Amino acid sequence: MVFRKTLPVIEHNILNRDYAVLKVRDRDLAVDCRPGMFFELKAAVESQRRKLFKPISVYAVDEEKISFLVKEVGEGTQTIIDLREGDYLHLIGPLGNAFPVVEGKSVLLVSGGVGYPPLAYLKEVLAASNQITLLHGGACQSDVFPCDVVYTDDGSMGKPGFVTEGVKSFLEEENPDIVYSCGPVPMLKAVAALVRPVPHFVSLEAYMACGVGVCYGCAVPVGEDYQRVCKDGPVFAADLIRWEEL
Amino acid sequence: MNRLQTNLGKLDLASPLLVASGTFGTEYFDLIDQKLLGAYVTKTITPEAKTGNPPPRLFETEAGLLNSIGLQNPGLESFISDELPKLRSLLSIPLIVSFSASTLGDFCSMLESLEDQEGIAGYEVNVSCPNVEREGIAFGADPAILYKLVKRLSAITKRELTVKLSPNVTDIAAIAQAAVAGGASSLALINTFYGMAIDWRYGESRIPKFVCGYSGSGIKPVALALTYKVAQAVQVPLLAMGGIHTWQDALEFFYAGASAIAIGTATFSDPDTFAAIHQGLDAFLSDKDAILHTLIGTVH
Repeated sequence: MVFRKTLPVIEHNILNRDYAVLKVRDRDLAVDCRPGMFFELKAAVESQRRKLFKPISVYAVDEEKISFLVKEVGEGTQTIIDLREGDYLHLIGPLGNAFPVVEGKSVLLVSGGVGYPPLAYLKEVLAASNQITLLHGGACQSDVFPCDVVYTDDGSMGKPGFVTEGVKSFLEEENPDIVYSCGPVPMLKAVAALVRPVPHFVSLEAYMACGVGVCYGCAVPVGEDYQRVCKDGPVFAADLIRWEEL
Repeated sequence: MNRLQTNLGKLDLASPLLVASGTFGTEYFDLIDQKLLGAYVTKTITPEAKTGNPPPRLFETEAGLLNSIGLQNPGLESFISDELPKLRSLLSIPLIVSFSASTLGDFCSMLESLEDQEGIAGYEVNVSCPNVEREGIAFGADPAILYKLVKRLSAITKRELTVKLSPNVTDIAAIAQAAVAGGASSLALINTFYGMAIDWRYGESRIPKFVCGYSGSGIKPVALALTYKVAQAVQVPLLAMGGIHTWQDALEFFYAGASAIAIGTATFSDPDTFAAIHQGLDAFLSDKDAILHTLIGTVH
């Protein structure tokens, strides 16, 4: 069941100039959340020129509380970040499919930039019954979040270079049973090429209008045709994506 | 008393609020009560399945939305076998099927196939697609071609036949008159405007297809003017749309001559739009002790 609600922000933490974590509390919305799912979010602020909701992955769920890690990428996300505790957030969700959940496996998680939240949530869910390594890459220090090994493009934190270097080193030492990734398309594409033929699931990001599957605005080349990131995804098997067209 | 009762040609509608083709699907019924709607308009169906355009397909501007979906749809056969039965069982409101083709013959054979199906109240003919027999000029851009098409279609069906007009023409009134002369029992207007956006940093088009469709609040005054012009030119009921977000926007279109309105882009910016417009119109009319019908076309 998908809901449209307007809820107060119960917690708001600014992480740095680009990121904030916002929390809402709602039983209906929290109960069906799974790692990989997302919500369409919009600040309840009338003065915005751009009026579409923004698709934001679920970052964490703690009983009835849902957290979102939001990066400022434009007017809509900036207005969400500018909310304070007690301000209202419009939500539609939970939306999309979820990452497949495994047990007793060696799991590699690879995230880039704002691709981090769904994998952090997945890690939380998989942690008890799997061996997990989370590699994360960012452009600079402000894109860094808690993980096992971190890479930054500018070398300001962790190892210098792309997170794909970390994937290469990991594969030299370990044989993961399954890989999950989320981040910018060039990163996902590179990870897909590196880890093949290990089962690999990616969460794709796309510009969306409806978020619920009606408008086909977020479609991406998957399989024989174009599939909706909002409804058929956002999680896809990496080997079904026609990477050359992305 | 239902103050919002209206009609669209042969259809009596309990609500004057419809959905703009392509912006609505049954997925929205979790969020939007279908009783708020006068009728359900499908996404445009074509004779064969269409995979649609390469991504990205959307770009939001300061005052609206650019789209380049490319009429992605499963095609007529799959619509009839898979989607239509689902719609029949889900809908308690009239079903209007939007369809399009690239030749006159295909338009007619599609309508003949749809006529065999139960549970369809009417059709919206999407004539914004290129006519491959006439150098790709859209059916809806030439009065003579449109007249010929609608004349053929109206001979095939007794159901409601709405022709959806494109705004990308020199004289929309002449096009509207041609559609009505051909037998359209109502008109829908307008389809999206041409639109484009370029990333100024790199000189790169935001959308791979370059020119796409523009909808949303930025087109409202133009859509209103076109509604007024068409209302002056023809006698059939009009289903008007273009940037309607509020009940006040909707009222403007009724005053300009619309018998019903459709909501499209505004659904994306809030699915609650239907409820808000329905409630707002009802309260406005109650306050005036009026019914919608008496307002239509009374701009002065």
